[in-house]
Amino acid sequence: MAGNFWQSSHYQQWVLDKQDLVRERSHDLGILTDDEYQKIFIFFSNFIQILGEQLKLRQQVIATATVYFKRFYARNSLKCIDPLLLAPTCVFLASKVEEFGVISNSRLISTCQTVVKNKFSYAYTQEFPYRSNHILECEFYLLENLDCCLIVYQPYRPLLQLVQDIGHEDQLLALAWRVVNDSLRTDVCLLYPPYQIAIGCLQIACVILQKDLKSWFAELNVDIEKIQEIARYVISLFEMWKTYDEKKDIQALLAKIPKPKTQPSR
Amino acid sequence: MQKYEKLEKIGEGTYGTVFKAKNRESLEIVALKRVRLDDDDEGVPSSALREICLLKELKHKNIVRLYDVLHSEKKLTLVFEHCDQDLKKYFDSLNGEIDPDVVKSFMFQLLRGLAFCHSHNVLHRDLKPQNLLINKNGELKLADFGLARAFGIPVKCYSAEVVTLWYRPPDVLFGAKLYTTSIDMWSAGCIFAELANAGRPLFPGSDVDDQLKRIFKLLGTPTEDTWPGLLQLPDYKPFPIYHPSMSFAQRPAADGRGRRPLRHGPPGKASCHRMMCAGPGW
Repeated sequence: MAGNFWQSSHYQQWVLDKQDLVRERSHDLGILTDDEYQKIFIFFSNFIQILGEQLKLRQQVIATATVYFKRFYARNSLKCIDPLLLAPTCVFLASKVEEFGVISNSRLISTCQTVVKNKFSYAYTQEFPYRSNHILECEFYLLENLDCCLIVYQPYRPLLQLVQDIGHEDQLLALAWRVVNDSLRTDVCLLYPPYQIAIGCLQIACVILQKDLKSWFAELNVDIEKIQEIARYVISLFEMWKTYDEKKDIQALLAKIPKPKTQPSR
Repeated sequence: MQKYEKLEKIGEGTYGTVFKAKNRESLEIVALKRVRLDDDDEGVPSSALREICLLKELKHKNIVRLYDVLHSEKKLTLVFEHCDQDLKKYFDSLNGEIDPDVVKSFMFQLLRGLAFCHSHNVLHRDLKPQNLLINKNGELKLADFGLARAFGIPVKCYSAEVVTLWYRPPDVLFGAKLYTTSIDMWSAGCIFAELANAGRPLFPGSDVDDQLKRIFKLLGTPTEDTWPGLLQLPDYKPFPIYHPSMSFAQRPAADGRGRRPLRHGPPGKASCHRMMCAGPGW
């Protein structure tokens, strides 16, 4: 579905306004600080990333799952669905939509159990509590809350085109690609079109590599203001990472999440 | 679900039963497609998801509209715009004759809807008269996107098991797995011939071999010269050499049109836009 972003449901329904986002989150932000809220989302982005890698999914599928996850909570409180259930459901749905082929539900559940046990034991002391029927039920809610907008445009393709335009720059591409992955830990995928995110991430990569492409950037026909905003989101994420020890803090943060009324029966 | 009153069963789609129903508030007639969730492991079937996510992006007067998706305990219902009949039923109602203006109008609308899909990088992959809906105003709409998919880079292998046999292009019949908009153009060409002949299908093959034989008898058997790469197709096998049995002048009713999209050999050069612009000279 390339090339028609401006007519897409992504552009028409899911490029959100910062003020809307703040308002939708006001319930959760009465309980959690901005900082804590973001740390929780970083944690679940990491969870989706590692779960996706274990399932050998392409980065595109992982990114789509992460965007579904963020879109759901952009419209709902964390108490609506336990994020530990929604995260694998997003992976499940994204793998079908991106036509990676269906992951069998039993494989998904067993991979969740392994990932929670082996990679996230610092966050969860108990085993992964959900079963296949929970995922299937959750998939319905996810579909409905996304208003069936399942095709997500990602910054990866525009990034490839931009780097191609600059010329042979493998190192730059590799770094910018990683910055795009990192940007999934911020709100930019909810607030800006993907080609702007690609440019913002590319700019950061240039700064890190001390590449002077000012004249090339100047010739791009883009709203520089927006690009700077995107860059600021990513840079403040990097700043946060300098002092944040997830392993130490996450248990307390997860305990603070507003909870659904009913917990699944084991 | 209380919002709709079920009226009658219309048919079976790729993945579920279709009902005609009435919206109790607006009295609007809609088509409800009930999605079976029989495979407990898969959740919402990929074919239904494909249809939902593509139709969400494709809003055009020649493409059936998806109004809503409803879910209840273990059931998913897609609410579509309702059309009175499909092209297959329309053919059945003809007595072997069709007004050339109707042929032109339907073909133009088919191409316009298809051009829109292709411009959004969506292949329909299962065009056939049963999937073309027609309403009282003579509007034609593409439906049943259960096999459709978005295409783009990187092109990976698509399943060879798509498209009803009669409308399937020879490269796919020979097992080609990388295909493009040409798959839909071939089907559109077959449908055009069928329209022009008031519902007599062009290549009503009974199996893959018979299908290819019928195509080659009419258009000539391709060779490596006329179709470079032919011998490399996965399921290629030699066929008797037939010479094209039809020239532009001979084709009854079709006035020589419909040939361009049916020229075989990859990749199809005909595009919806070119055919729409070219007019009677196709």
